[in-house]
Amino acid sequence: MRLSEIAQVIRSKNAGPRRLTLDVMFATDADYQRVAQSPALGREQIAALYRVAREDVTVIPYPVGRAIKIVLARRVMAGDPGDVDVYGAQQHAPLLGVEI
Amino acid sequence: MTASARILDSLRRARRPMRLVGASGQLGYGVPTPAFEAALARRPDLIGADMGSIDIGPTYLGKGEMATAPAATRRDLRKLLHGARGLNVPLVIGSAGSAGAAPHLDATLAIVREIARSDGLHFRLGVIRSDLPRSLLTQAVLDGRVRGIDDMPALTEDDVRDAAHIVGQMGMGPFRRALAAGVDVIVAGRACDTAIFASLPTMLDFPTGLAVHMAKIIECASLCCVPGGRDSILAELDDDGFVLESMNPQRRATPTSVAAHSLYEQADPFTVYEPEGRLDLSAAEYVAVDERRTRVSGARWETSADPCVKIEGACRIGERAVLLAGAADPRFIAGHREILAAVSEVVRELVCEDQPQDYTLRFRVYGVDGVRMAVPEHEAPPGEVFVMGECIAPTAERAAEVVRTCKQYLLHHGYPGRLSTAGNLAFPFTPPEVSLGAAYRFSVYHLLHVADPDALFPLEIEAV
Repeated sequence: MRLSEIAQVIRSKNAGPRRLTLDVMFATDADYQRVAQSPALGREQIAALYRVAREDVTVIPYPVGRAIKIVLARRVMAGDPGDVDVYGAQQHAPLLGVEI
Repeated sequence: MTASARILDSLRRARRPMRLVGASGQLGYGVPTPAFEAALARRPDLIGADMGSIDIGPTYLGKGEMATAPAATRRDLRKLLHGARGLNVPLVIGSAGSAGAAPHLDATLAIVREIARSDGLHFRLGVIRSDLPRSLLTQAVLDGRVRGIDDMPALTEDDVRDAAHIVGQMGMGPFRRALAAGVDVIVAGRACDTAIFASLPTMLDFPTGLAVHMAKIIECASLCCVPGGRDSILAELDDDGFVLESMNPQRRATPTSVAAHSLYEQADPFTVYEPEGRLDLSAAEYVAVDERRTRVSGARWETSADPCVKIEGACRIGERAVLLAGAADPRFIAGHREILAAVSEVVRELVCEDQPQDYTLRFRVYGVDGVRMAVPEHEAPPGEVFVMGECIAPTAERAAEVVRTCKQYLLHHGYPGRLSTAGNLAFPFTPPEVSLGAAYRFSVYHLLHVADPDALFPLEIEAV
């Protein structure tokens, strides 16, 4: 099953101008548990999807919000020349097809 | 009696839960009236609004310009001023004018004074500035008291000198000072969004952790609700927790939606750092009061022994011009990387005949990799693309020269296998070269260690 079929929200946004944060949110505790327990959103997998170093990936389970938070270092600071997305709001697409 | 004195006096005489209104998301984009009027009907003790952010990129801070349109900004400020003055409760606005530096704050104050003049409003206005003196920052750099945030490179004396504007984010202390002095309206420069709402409760001995947690949520208005939105939100704060209720009856603050708000634009959902300390949300609890309201408790506050002020600054990096053009030839699209590289070189040879290369020229190819930071390999090519060439150069004239030259050579570039020899580009209009004005980048995004953070943010009071 693809993440886009089980998640209620899959989004990205800057957390400050040097970090990108992705949130994956679920409608039920069961859906949250299924994905939280799967290796599909581990640091290695995210690092490969986003072409960053594993050390630059943080994955934070947030059960009270039925969500998984991922934080990446932005290669280009928000608004710097060469930035493609000043707010970081359109970088979630790689997560949509992740197989759980 | 000023609004702040009245509320402080009333709550000191007869302590009771406080009602606070987050009037709007970022102020200046429109405040939905029905929800705002519903908020006023609940007789709040304070109305607050956040008016700026670093999340909008460096240009507004660098240029000294607001992100919001003047007419909408005036409409929002007028609505809030009348609402607060009608109830005689404090109105607190932070991070004025989108970025909180002197030009943003002064432009906001000009609107506020003009509204007062037009509408016959009179009130005591507290203004809190957030521009940091360069000499103070230079000394801090030399003393080793400035640390980059999120791997930001070390701040240099040149960075301090060259920034167009540098602001510090004020915490609760400067707001408390203004409220204690007796004001009806506060318009502050760059501020922690929490300080806008947490300052008054902490003067009345409400637990700091609860006040700051509540503030963090209501500064985004009804974004913490489902469906989320910008309508006004009401918080009722007591000594053990706070209840959240959107003033739009269609929006529900549920335990999950409120808990999930800690995720928004944050790298850590469990911790919020303020100048004076740290908010710990690891034990926060969210319980439904009914279908639309949630009660929140459990936030803890730790005062820091080493206060830090977050400082932000932007510097000008040149003038920007762009070339806007589409393409729909499969061979052009397939070979676009080589074509753009070749044309860049042709342009360089032409415009640098009698000058050094003093500009950068980049291309974004929408449909291929204009948006995404990580593009999958082996994606099928699109049927058409949009090419934006972007030049940043020392002057507007130089940037325009580069993109105009680029346009001509990209339009006619003869690449191997070309069939469409009449022209490679589709212009949406002409001229397809647009000058966008000064370009900026963030050059300051650091923590300033300072013994007395509040002293950095002077207060002026005026009778409007």
